[in-house]
Amino acid sequence: MSLALFERPAIVDPAVFPRASEPLEEVGAGEPMDAAAALGFSLSRLTEANDPRPLVLVTTADWLRERGRPFARGLGAWGATAKRLIWVRTAREAEALWALEEALKSGAVAGGLATVEAPPFVATRRLDFAARAGAAVGVILRAGAGGDLSAARRRWRIRCGPSALNGFDADAPGRVRLSAELVRRRDGPPGAWLLEQDDETGRLGVVAGLAGHGLDEAAAGRDGRLAPQAA
Amino acid sequence: MRPQPDGTDASHPRPPEGAPFALVEKGVNGLSLLALNASARALGLWRGQAHADACAMTPQLISAPAEAERDRDALRRLALWAERFSPSVAADELMPGFEGLFLDMTGAAHLFGGERSLLSDLRGRLHAAGIPARLAIADTPAAAWALARFSTAAETIAPAGRTREALALLPVEALRLEAKALSLLKRFGLKTIGNLYGLPRAGLARRFRGEAGFRVVERLDQALGTLAEPLDPVRPPPLYRVWVPFAEPVMDVDGVAFHLPRLAEALASALGRDGQGARRLRLTGFRVDGRATMLEAGLSAPAAGAEHLVRLLREKGLERLDLGFGLDALMLSAEKAETVEAREAELDASPGQASLHALAALIDRLEAKLGEGQVRRPQPKESWVPELSEAWTPAGPSPSPPPERDEARLRPILLFEPPEPVTTIAELPDGVPARFVWRRASRRVVKAEGPERLGAEWWRPAANEAKRPRTRDYYRVEDETGRRYWLYREGLYGRENADRAPTWWIAGVFA
Repeated sequence: MSLALFERPAIVDPAVFPRASEPLEEVGAGEPMDAAAALGFSLSRLTEANDPRPLVLVTTADWLRERGRPFARGLGAWGATAKRLIWVRTAREAEALWALEEALKSGAVAGGLATVEAPPFVATRRLDFAARAGAAVGVILRAGAGGDLSAARRRWRIRCGPSALNGFDADAPGRVRLSAELVRRRDGPPGAWLLEQDDETGRLGVVAGLAGHGLDEAAAGRDGRLAPQAA
Repeated sequence: MRPQPDGTDASHPRPPEGAPFALVEKGVNGLSLLALNASARALGLWRGQAHADACAMTPQLISAPAEAERDRDALRRLALWAERFSPSVAADELMPGFEGLFLDMTGAAHLFGGERSLLSDLRGRLHAAGIPARLAIADTPAAAWALARFSTAAETIAPAGRTREALALLPVEALRLEAKALSLLKRFGLKTIGNLYGLPRAGLARRFRGEAGFRVVERLDQALGTLAEPLDPVRPPPLYRVWVPFAEPVMDVDGVAFHLPRLAEALASALGRDGQGARRLRLTGFRVDGRATMLEAGLSAPAAGAEHLVRLLREKGLERLDLGFGLDALMLSAEKAETVEAREAELDASPGQASLHALAALIDRLEAKLGEGQVRRPQPKESWVPELSEAWTPAGPSPSPPPERDEARLRPILLFEPPEPVTTIAELPDGVPARFVWRRASRRVVKAEGPERLGAEWWRPAANEAKRPRTRDYYRVEDETGRRYWLYREGLYGRENADRAPTWWIAGVFA
């Protein structure tokens, strides 16, 4: 109690990729076709904390029709192993928000994501409180990034990037790369990073900004940090 | 006991009071009367009479076609309502025109203040709902059947152990016999059941042999209780049930919500006493107009917490109960119950166990609101075909078993089911496509890996020869923007079903 009084707000280095997840984050696909990359990134946000509790995916009927259904054998590569997954199907977005809130506040899950296009501000606040109450991570997955009000502490915009060079076969896709732009955050200025998936652990890490990796100095700084794009 | 449902229903205009009315059915010899009202009977018409004859006798006869299907539905609805008196209610549809209900009241009459007051209560409620009824209580279903229909009073009670005397003066029709058997008995001068008591059984059995409606001895034994007659209840009786009757009908959902916690506590303590948990919960409201309205909820793991049960039904939506003109009783029952296994483990309060309970409660709540089967967990299957390699089965709190083979192949995170067709341009017919068009957008392939050849599972039965699955070659391709797709070609050039050209599909997208 007394310690909290002296606690200072954390100083955020805008160049460092924020690895730890906030209770509620919003992930939007840069373009509708980047939905799969956004889903992968969302899963990496949910599994960041190494919490063994189950994960909940809440999908709406519209999203399923458009994007396909989750495939457990592929989701495993992003840390969401089959035995942790719970998939909830809802007809409408309001139900999806309700289901995610129930899941987060139950305390039984490590995290949950819901595919919602237009969450009302009040609903996002409720999700934020629910995630705190249940010590879980919530992610709102949107097809496009919205500029509307949201209680999400971080708002990401995800785009696919050309994959890394495959050392064994130059013609084959290599490690997954995606650009993550932090459009808005509570605790600091926005930023953008080029991330690469470690195909052994399934975790995302910042691409080392070494020469010869297909990134010029202007696009990627020392830490592989991209210049934020004008919104 | 058997109330006789009135033949009339709402869709037909009710015949004027006192006018002769009959329901007619089509038989081999044309239309005949199936059911008649009191004034038609008073005019000398009878059941089974040809409609033409009846019209000749009474030109003012009003008739309507009988609808057996709707009558059966109405009887079933009434049977569900009658469950407020007994957990075991059977609809008796054996003889057309003599339908009724059997209520097994064994050991339950005292709950309603004894047999006499039970009968008057039941008849009063049916009367209030516009259903005239004749009731009887006897030791055997067959005796009750006979007394309800052929006794002089509308409510008859045959004292326990005195069925023989109670039936002695009833006509032989009360034995549920066929017309042929009845006319034969009449020809012998055997008019009442009592006449049969003194006859030698061997002779009677020899003369009346054949199907059930003809076997006089068997019917007599059933009536007197020497031959068992099992009832087939409309619904299997619930394992645990608690109920509360109301002095004044409950008219709104708030009233139901008010009484629900008390019911849930009673049910929970009944379940807890036996170490059981409910797996299927049903809330039944008994309406004053002789119908029942229900709400059901399933549970993913046996639970016996009153709070959870209440919450589940609330989530399901109490407003879905059709209260009509009000409920005069409310029943909460566990239709399915299982032993609660995790009881001991709860004592050590390990976090794993607690979160397992929380998860079970969460799944129940989600399913109650969103519908059954909307919450699922993946179940790996033994198949190489991607669509068949996993099934999402309704979720339980414990995870599905781990896959039998844990292969580390690259698989997309989103799968299209069914796969979507793409058109491709390739340099070689059986090579990697150079371009492909999916969802009307053309994409240039920059990087590709493959093929990963998955042979058709020939051991699975195919719907027809033309649809027999073919070999698939899967490619992981990346377009110029870096998006990765899982394409496959179905069929091999010139080898498999040469008359069907190979086709290209997109199976899924990678992150």
